[in-house]
Amino acid sequence: MVADTAIMVGVLFACSVFLILQRSVVRILFGFVLFTNAANLLLLGVSGPPEGRLPPVVDGSGAPAVDPLPQALILTAIVIGFGVISYLVVLLYRLFLDHGTTSAGELFDPERKEKP
Amino acid sequence: MNWLAAPVALPLMAALLMLLLRRQATARRTLAVLASAGQLAVALGLGLHTFHHGVQVLPLGNWGAPYGIVLTVDLLSAIMLALAAFVGLAAIVYGCFELARRREHPLRLPLLQFLLAGVNLSFSTGDLFNLFVGFELMLISSYALLTLEADDWEIQHAFPYLALNLIGGTLFLCACGLAYALFGTLNFADIAARAAALPGDGRVLVLGLLLLAVFALKAGVFPLYYWLPHSYPTLPTPVAAFHSGLLTKVGIYALLRLFGTVLPHDLTLAHETLAWLAGATMLFGVLGAISQNYIRGILAWHILSQVGFMVLAIGFFTELSLAAAIFYIIHHIVVKASLFLCGGVVICLNGSDNLDRTGHLWRCAPWLGLIFLAQAMSLAGLPPLSGFWGKLLIVIEGVRAGEFVLVVASLVASILTLFSMLKIWLAAFWSEPAEIRAAVEDRRWRPMTAAVAAMALVSAGIGLGAEGAFRVAREAARQAADQTAYIETVLGTRGKEGAR
Repeated sequence: MVADTAIMVGVLFACSVFLILQRSVVRILFGFVLFTNAANLLLLGVSGPPEGRLPPVVDGSGAPAVDPLPQALILTAIVIGFGVISYLVVLLYRLFLDHGTTSAGELFDPERKEKP
Repeated sequence: MNWLAAPVALPLMAALLMLLLRRQATARRTLAVLASAGQLAVALGLGLHTFHHGVQVLPLGNWGAPYGIVLTVDLLSAIMLALAAFVGLAAIVYGCFELARRREHPLRLPLLQFLLAGVNLSFSTGDLFNLFVGFELMLISSYALLTLEADDWEIQHAFPYLALNLIGGTLFLCACGLAYALFGTLNFADIAARAAALPGDGRVLVLGLLLLAVFALKAGVFPLYYWLPHSYPTLPTPVAAFHSGLLTKVGIYALLRLFGTVLPHDLTLAHETLAWLAGATMLFGVLGAISQNYIRGILAWHILSQVGFMVLAIGFFTELSLAAAIFYIIHHIVVKASLFLCGGVVICLNGSDNLDRTGHLWRCAPWLGLIFLAQAMSLAGLPPLSGFWGKLLIVIEGVRAGEFVLVVASLVASILTLFSMLKIWLAAFWSEPAEIRAAVEDRRWRPMTAAVAAMALVSAGIGLGAEGAFRVAREAARQAADQTAYIETVLGTRGKEGAR
């Protein structure tokens, strides 16, 4: 299971890096969404499989459970990631309204003159 | 030591209260000044205490390390907390003089306090994940500040800032996960204890290099600094002074803490990488500064070249060079913030900080000229100003380590710094072009200059009292690099009965 997760994390990181390196800011945005989620999945992989582990607070049944701490970390990371991504969406929309383009290449073209 | 929570709790509470005071600008300003002054007092008290008694630990909720969350403050953290509070106070006071009450954005001061809370949490936390949370709190507040008062043109520079720091934050999260997988803990002291049991393990080195990349991005080290020099100049002057003084130095602090206290000291590859990246940062930063023609742009590029000096000192990684790095941080935060504020006064007087449209200032504001000259020479490293002692120590350590190429690079960077500072001096203070006039009738600039003068006095004090300041820095470096004492104190602090 750990190997599956590792491959999945690798594929997600590769896709997100490909998307982030595109020129269209919309693709860059999707790249960042994938990027943060790849990191979350990596954290989930840290928990490992539940076999042979005991829950930190034993309830009597003794059923195996995974280490809960990485999941607590993921929860925090999801909240932070969601906040930043939604901020990024609004920022990109504002840039689109101001400059009328969704191409990062045009937005940061050094040939464009400073403050009109 | 419940006081350890105050540097985080004070700005958080002040910020929340200020959010309620949307219309009462006077009350907001009073609260901001009081909160920062309180932080400064607490931080100085903590500094005095840790200087004599070593690292202090506060197990939150009375759960002891390594299971509970702990705040740990040693002398290095206390110094950083004090500097954060001092720069925050100066920026807030300066902002009060600069802007009429009605024109101040009601969210600026609350966001500055949130930023301070994030910075202070990063300085005082005792585990890797809370360092991540502190960083994110700081970054999110700085994103907001960057776009809050930006116009349609400036706002585009927030995008690279946000994008690169989002990548940095995500990599940091990955590093946290990998550290947990490797050590089974996130507590600094526990990691240090367990890493000692894995001598020469390649995985520790990989983790170290990953963390190096993360903090190098936050500090603005060579290949990862693109976000900084374009975004900082778009901020309003006091906020820009705060950012430029403090935010990159949080990255430097994290490098010092991680490589000094947490990770084993034998990661030579990571240290050498740091030193060479630092050399490149110094040169490229200063060359970028020479290419600029407006004051805030020049100063923003100089942050990078100065960051190079601090990282270089960390890269040499001897006890004396760590002390030199800490001394340089103390010097740099005050000088850099005050130079940005000087630039703000120039904008107030000349209406612009484009060097083609400034002039006459030596005749109408000689004190401002003196302050600027002293701080600029200190940045370049002329004796007996504070920058000289920091650079001298770093060069001595470099010569001792035999890294002559890096020493020469640092000296070249210093001379070019002097050159670009003189460029500002000649254009803004010395030149007297006929078509430009200085608005001396604007009454704001005198109190603004007084605020900068207070910072310049502190900086001159650091330069003239360099021996005392260096003794403090040396003790801070000793505490930060003394892993055994750190582990014993943190893991030995018990929470409530049976919690360990």
